[in-house]
Amino acid sequence: MSTQPSINEIPLQNAGIQKTRSVCGYCGVGCSLDILTKDDRIIGIQPAMDGPSNKGALCVKGQFAYDYVHHPDRLTQPLVRRADGQLHPTTWDEALDVAAQGFQRAVDQHGRHAVYGIASGRTPSEANYAMQKFMRAGFGTNHIDNCSRA
Amino acid sequence: MSNPYTDMAKTELAFCIGTNMTECHPVAATFLKKAIARGAKLIVADPRRIRLAEMADLYLPLRVGSDVALLLGMAHVIAREGLVDQAFMAARTTGGAAFLEHVQQFTPEWAAEITGVPAQDIETAAIWYGSANAAAIYYTLGITEHICGVDNVQSLCNLALMTGNLGVEGGGINPMRGQNNIQGAGDAGAIPNSYAGFQPVDIPENQAKFEALYGRPLDSERGMTKVSALEQAGESIFAMLIDGENTLVSDPDRTHGEHALKSLDHLVVIDIFLTETAALAHVVLPATAWAETDGHFTNSERRIQRVRRAVTPPGEAKPDWWIVSALATRLGFAGFAYDSPKEVFNELCRVSPIYAGIDWGMAEKGEYQWPIPYKGHPGTPRLHEDEFINGRGIFRVINYRDPAEVVDAAYPVWLTTGRRLQTYHTRTQTGRAQGIEYFVPEEVLEVHPDNVAAWGLQDGGWATMRSRRGSIRIKVKATERSPRGTVFASFAFNETPVNILTGSGYDPITQTAELKVCPVRVEAYEEVAGPA
Repeated sequence: MSTQPSINEIPLQNAGIQKTRSVCGYCGVGCSLDILTKDDRIIGIQPAMDGPSNKGALCVKGQFAYDYVHHPDRLTQPLVRRADGQLHPTTWDEALDVAAQGFQRAVDQHGRHAVYGIASGRTPSEANYAMQKFMRAGFGTNHIDNCSRA
Repeated sequence: MSNPYTDMAKTELAFCIGTNMTECHPVAATFLKKAIARGAKLIVADPRRIRLAEMADLYLPLRVGSDVALLLGMAHVIAREGLVDQAFMAARTTGGAAFLEHVQQFTPEWAAEITGVPAQDIETAAIWYGSANAAAIYYTLGITEHICGVDNVQSLCNLALMTGNLGVEGGGINPMRGQNNIQGAGDAGAIPNSYAGFQPVDIPENQAKFEALYGRPLDSERGMTKVSALEQAGESIFAMLIDGENTLVSDPDRTHGEHALKSLDHLVVIDIFLTETAALAHVVLPATAWAETDGHFTNSERRIQRVRRAVTPPGEAKPDWWIVSALATRLGFAGFAYDSPKEVFNELCRVSPIYAGIDWGMAEKGEYQWPIPYKGHPGTPRLHEDEFINGRGIFRVINYRDPAEVVDAAYPVWLTTGRRLQTYHTRTQTGRAQGIEYFVPEEVLEVHPDNVAAWGLQDGGWATMRSRRGSIRIKVKATERSPRGTVFASFAFNETPVNILTGSGYDPITQTAELKVCPVRVEAYEEVAGPA
């Protein structure tokens, strides 16, 4: 965002705090908010007073439930299941190969309708578009859905 | 939603049915509170005495799964009292005469018998709804998560059509979506029956259009829904890609779901944590989280809004669009050489008539609500103002059906499920946010105090809750939010897997699970050898 800083934002800037305009990731109201970051960590959330769907309001989840983003349990590497039955960290290169081979095998053995994709109601639309194109334009099947039925 | 959120403050009468708005869509509830402060009337229909019910001018405590009966009774009264908008019906609808004849048999007394709501209150609700200049309907999964979810929605449409409450400011039929981008997932074509922009796959022109765009033959038959695909796992479905969904905890009949996922030859999961579902996968691919990626969400009022990256993702986590495209490229599929989310979004806009008027740069400020059919079009905050998409609004003749399972001697209690204010879905995120743990550290079963006593339970003690599919141990909370004979729990906690019990049936059209109704038996938990 390259807008001129308002007077309220000067103290934030002096303290090394950046503001990034985004939209809440919880329910479907789509509240606009500013993510406050310092040293590449989220340190707070502010409601956007000019948010078209929330007009400055935020709920307890949108305002406070963000620290999962930096949680130590976050997945940081691809995992593949090896002969010992356990998931092990690996490279993207190997993980994509194993992932692709499994789909290829299913299609070779059982045909193009033997594969299925479940897209997410949480990810951006770009992910959903890529997922449905993967199933339709890639495999040639309409076996694609999202999590709206549960 | 047919109408924008800003219309909520302008309504004369809000009819909220099957929505726990103050807990599940709290910011939307603030607009409703403004409308009430301005003098708007509020009718709330819900089996539980939720906070919204306390705010209502008229509260209709209907039995779980009896919505169609309530709405038929209301339609009967609206017709009988001469509150039908004859001009709207004549100019803009079809099937009205048959519908009006159909509802003649469904008196409020008949509806009272099924719903448990006093006939007088059904009359009042109908007269208020039918007399208001602008009356709005708000609903969520309390309407759709039933075997008769489509019937429930169509019954609400019938009410709005007969009173002309569509295409008007402060009116409309407004489902509020539970997830940040569930609307966008449908818009982008992640559904078995339509390409991006809700272009049905079984219309030959659409197939031809996308065959030209994607450069390969496409399938003219609809795909399976997720529910069918899980049933077919190991039978006809052998490999599955799941992006960002904890299917195992969120879906009904968990035992069956776990068996299904384990029956696959190949399961690939993209997620931000090693969820219970990811732990079953053969390959797990680490994704960027919210605040780590650029893209768009579409909210319930069809508003397309930009989300932005504010922090660096951990380790080697990658954006979901990148992961799917990389996998596609690895399989030799053409058309996935995207360099940025901008390229993906612009392709989505190009192929979708409802997004045709925007591109990556234009959605910056979130001022567009689809449909935006061409460049220069201002977007469509309010649907159906001049004409319905299919020409005329269609009345449907609907009959009441019992839920898939009804209470009996073995399972005499109604269980209904949902979310709570402070937790979200399966707690993949909120279970890892410190402040939230403080508010909601564990799941409880909400039971009416009279039932606590009658069933030999203790407030704060443990109970065993059993359905035809399984049993769980859960802590009891005595509260008058639950009516006598109906109990409530959320499905948020893996430690209290309520979805082991659910899954009695599915809507035949949408295959949405009847998560809102499940007959159970509740007894005091007795310690046997070892922990439960």
